[in-house]
Amino acid sequence: MTHPNQSILALYAGRDLDWFTRRRTERHLTHCGICREEVQAFASSRQGLTARSELPAIRWTRLAIEMKANIRLGLAAGECVRDERMAESFAPFALLSNARTLGACASVMAVVAAGLYLQRPAPVAPSEFGGGSAVLRATANGIELNQGGQTLSLLHVRSTDVTYSAGAQGSMRAGYVDSDTGNVTINNLYVQ
Amino acid sequence: MREVADPGLELLETQNRFVSDHLRRIFVQIYRIVGNVADAQDLTQEAFIKALQRQEQLKDEHKAAHWLSRIATNTAIDFLRRSGRVSYCELDAAPESHDESPEDILLRSEQRDYLEDGLRLLTARERAALMLRDVEDLPAEEVAQRLGCSKATVRSHIANARIKLRKYMEKRKP
Repeated sequence: MTHPNQSILALYAGRDLDWFTRRRTERHLTHCGICREEVQAFASSRQGLTARSELPAIRWTRLAIEMKANIRLGLAAGECVRDERMAESFAPFALLSNARTLGACASVMAVVAAGLYLQRPAPVAPSEFGGGSAVLRATANGIELNQGGQTLSLLHVRSTDVTYSAGAQGSMRAGYVDSDTGNVTINNLYVQ
Repeated sequence: MREVADPGLELLETQNRFVSDHLRRIFVQIYRIVGNVADAQDLTQEAFIKALQRQEQLKDEHKAAHWLSRIATNTAIDFLRRSGRVSYCELDAAPESHDESPEDILLRSEQRDYLEDGLRLLTARERAALMLRDVEDLPAEEVAQRLGCSKATVRSHIANARIKLRKYMEKRKP
């Protein structure tokens, strides 16, 4: 009696054979105990594999929040790198551009400048937000700007672990992870 | 004064929804290939970052999910090849429930170690094919798509993997 080879039996155990080969193997198995045992052994190892693949006990919610924050961070880092690369790739391009391209660019810029000049907003009355020095500061609920007796606040109410940083040229930054959604938010305030 | 707002709030929402919808599925899929939580976490993050950097692929949700699975599989296979190691079982993760006794956990861990040793005998592609077919229960056509090869090659990988694993189990019964 010719037995099917091991590969055939291994594939039969997982129902991975085509119809014709499966039927032929089934006919063989009806009268071959040795091959039936082989198939049974393959089936058992499949079951063991399934059991091994169950997730161990983990704190999924915490893990998910951590992963979401890291993904967001990775994307932000990727953006920074891409911006830098784009800036680098544009620098030599500008140098190599010919006079015609420069002329075209200059024309476009002139049109844009004229448009901006014509569409310029009416000057703001100095009493609205002017006067006095501007003060940026971090509070318990966010970062805020005081200027001329008026206040602008950016709040982060649902987070406890907030990182603040202040820029020497008049900026303040607050970065935090939202405890409910896991989203990373970075607020920047600049004084001009 | 000017405020620098986060650009593309809508895009951000789409990305967040995409991550929330698929995070667990992709994590489990990768975990089944690499076999430990820490590596699965890193590779899941890597797969999502790769996927989200190609915005144009996310327009069709069904295709995006399929495409993400493929990225996840390839990321896991690359990792196995790169590191030349497979996995170990972790006991440090804190349990969610206290149903299992320490003896049960230890027993399960030993069983897992025993199978992990067997899986080390497989190539990265054999292991991925076996996991996708026998554990994820994907049809061979789908496995072929994920691995970027023919159905015949997938069958060959699966047959080799099952034979190697079975021989290992015969030699080393727990």
